[in-house]
Amino acid sequence: MKIGLEIHVQLPTKSKLFCSCSTSGSTPNSSVCPICLGLPGSRPFLNRQALEMGVLIAKFLNCKISDKVWFARKTYFYPDLPKNFQITQYDSPLGVDGHFMIGDKNVGIWRAHIEEDPGRIKRVGRSGEEVALVDYNRSGIPLVEIVTAPDLSSPAEARDFLTDLIIELRHLIDVTGAEQTMRVDANISVGEERVEIKNITGLRNVEKGLKSEANRQTKMLAAGKRIVRETRHFDEERGVTMPGREKEFEEDYGYIGEPDLGTYRIGALAASMTVPETPLVRAARLSEELGIGAQAARQIVLTDWALADLFEVLAAKVGAEAAMSWTMGPLSSSWKDLKEKVPELREDIVGIVTAVTSGKMTDSEGRMRISALSSGQEAAAAPAEDVGDLDALIVQLVDEHPEVVRDYKGNERAANFLIGQVMKATKGKYSSKVVAERMKKELGKKV
Amino acid sequence: MTTFPTVDGLRALDEKHLIFCERLEDPLAFEQGQFHFSAKDNLCARDFQARAGSRVLKGYRPPFDATPIRRLKEIGGLLIGKTNMDEFGFGTFSTNSGFGIPRNPFDPERSCGGSSGGAAAAAALIPEHLALGVSTGGSISCPASFCGVVGLTPTYGRVSRWGLIDYGNSLDKVGLLTRTARDLERYLPVISGPDPKDPTSQAQPVLSMKGEVTSVAVPTEALADLSPEVTAAFGEALKELERNGVKVMEVTIPSLRYAIPAYYILATSEASTNLARYCGMRFGVMNQEFDQGFNDFFAQTRSEDFGPEAKRRILLGTFSRMVGFRNRYYIKALQVRQLIIREYNKVFEDCDAVLTPTMPFIAPRFDEIARMKPLEMYQADFLTVPPNLAGMPHVSLPCGYSGGMPIGMQAVGPQWAEGSLVSFARSWEESFHFRFPEVRA
Repeated sequence: MKIGLEIHVQLPTKSKLFCSCSTSGSTPNSSVCPICLGLPGSRPFLNRQALEMGVLIAKFLNCKISDKVWFARKTYFYPDLPKNFQITQYDSPLGVDGHFMIGDKNVGIWRAHIEEDPGRIKRVGRSGEEVALVDYNRSGIPLVEIVTAPDLSSPAEARDFLTDLIIELRHLIDVTGAEQTMRVDANISVGEERVEIKNITGLRNVEKGLKSEANRQTKMLAAGKRIVRETRHFDEERGVTMPGREKEFEEDYGYIGEPDLGTYRIGALAASMTVPETPLVRAARLSEELGIGAQAARQIVLTDWALADLFEVLAAKVGAEAAMSWTMGPLSSSWKDLKEKVPELREDIVGIVTAVTSGKMTDSEGRMRISALSSGQEAAAAPAEDVGDLDALIVQLVDEHPEVVRDYKGNERAANFLIGQVMKATKGKYSSKVVAERMKKELGKKV
Repeated sequence: MTTFPTVDGLRALDEKHLIFCERLEDPLAFEQGQFHFSAKDNLCARDFQARAGSRVLKGYRPPFDATPIRRLKEIGGLLIGKTNMDEFGFGTFSTNSGFGIPRNPFDPERSCGGSSGGAAAAAALIPEHLALGVSTGGSISCPASFCGVVGLTPTYGRVSRWGLIDYGNSLDKVGLLTRTARDLERYLPVISGPDPKDPTSQAQPVLSMKGEVTSVAVPTEALADLSPEVTAAFGEALKELERNGVKVMEVTIPSLRYAIPAYYILATSEASTNLARYCGMRFGVMNQEFDQGFNDFFAQTRSEDFGPEAKRRILLGTFSRMVGFRNRYYIKALQVRQLIIREYNKVFEDCDAVLTPTMPFIAPRFDEIARMKPLEMYQADFLTVPPNLAGMPHVSLPCGYSGGMPIGMQAVGPQWAEGSLVSFARSWEESFHFRFPEVRA
């Protein structure tokens, strides 16, 4: 089975691709202007930020970046398309011939380019009296389109690919809600001929649509029938693909260059960009550098980027294994509260974990302190090394409580009362292990 | 003492010559002595509908001013009307307008030329008037020649196209039609200059009004297929130039013969995409038959509202873009354009301008036009298309008269050399007497 994907993801710019309208208009047709409405006499100008994001993505996907790029008009008639042509890139995408790894598998990336979104059609009214309304707020929203080679070999793998891709893109350009808004055209062939499933929204639907189409093709072949090359749509409610209605023939978009935009040289821009380390790249590095399992590394990085930062600091101090058990244990369970405070508390946390692993503090004590830090208690930090004050306090308390000294002779547990007093008075400045040692030593003198 | 413009005067002219698609009708709008201008109907202005001569844009009132119009208003200009034109600029005689056919100022039985026909007629008939025109393949030069006025087409990218209803975006240029070269000198700097709203206007060097033309090259290719009266008038003009000390040389520019086919492929390819938006969704009269698929609905509007020439060019352009033909036509035409630019530049190494007649004949009568086949009409532009295809600035000037009808010559300059063309026009009008039609107010 061969599957190739064409993925459209919205770029998170403030303004649209070819005009200065906001990308976040909510009331229908509130964020529109002569340019994104395609009024006669208007013309586009390019949003530089969108171009930069596109180049960064192409670079991240290991594409060869073209130096000169331009835009093209893709002409087709559809009620949501204001100009009845879409400004996209045809013979000069931002990048070509890249690749993306999912696990150990290399998936080819044929191309990455940027383009404008059409408007959105909403059907309203009772069945039979339906009216189609067009909202042009979406017209001109910048998209990046990524086209893969037909290297994916199952619907599940296609979903894995998209999951991983989105994790990376979300870190790279801060796309929010990409899982929901991502639109995919999927090409799939079980035998010789391929079928394109158009415009599937969301990860789950991609997998479902592909599964259903794979089944259909398999059954057709088993029945000795021929697969026809065609465009189909995935019916989410019924869970099956249906033949496209409009087209009896392959669409010819009659591409020509967009004469209003000219040529852009992006070679120097691309060269000046550094692709930041993305989550899955980081997980792979951690796994390799620290010898931890790939899944564990992925889990740490995906739980939270700053948690992974803390993990790396801990691993350097106490080794990967201990760092992992603390990161995935106490730290991640109270991460919600800790996260905000980590910049100030990092030293304290590292101190506690170091103390436990070096045997200066019990494991449960360490956990207690981490939990105290997360709930905002003061001075829950690492135990102090200097015990001068501590000894003075112990001597004082022992003198004040002769009854405890008496009881202690018969039952060592009587010391716990005084230990508790010390812990309370010192607000956790010293570890309970140290306090107990010193207390027993002092009490021992009296016995 | 001129009595123009007055509302009554304009109405009288318009009734006789069908100059305007729409014009000012409020007498209070006119102030004595105010600078007044008109704009071709494909330039958007808030004041009037902008229909580009097409029924498909009936009722369309733009919410913004085209940059050249805005700039002229900013220096105190009064926009008095939108001038008649071939639908979307598709034509050589302004006979393809959806709003009547403008009549030649010298002879109402003859064409004004096209596609800026109304603009040329306005320039000829209204004293002290500036007409904004637009040229894609010769639509300023041709009517300037037929109506006996000065027509300047600047370098592609010199004047912002923001607010110009597109025909062929890589070819469209806003320019000026006037009675005198002095007005070019005055108003070209006003409408020129970079505009962030049109990225193709931002690469231009600063406009210099200096420079002169001391030598002109006449391509031999331009002298074939001319009518005898044009040949004669152009010959006299060359002699006059030589008497004025201008060096005249003969050259050959072989690639000129490919200009027409290359131009029609590029212009119609772009036009067929530009016109796609006029489909009945938001432009075009919405017919009431909503119970059909959108393709049929669109097709109905487009069939009803586009004229025959618009349909012809949509078909030609769509064909040239299709898979299998794209490389043979569209891509090859782009290469031809580069070749012609190179050959022009070669010629400009030895001279300041390329000089030819503007049109191969005087303004034809409407009955003659009715007998012409589309290809003959296209071929009539063989002298005006090359500089337009190459994006080179050019100016058409009256250079003779035959039977009372004006004859024009066209000087093409190197890219961005509008200044030397304007100075050429100014010295020519000093030595050659321009005639204008007599108009009774």
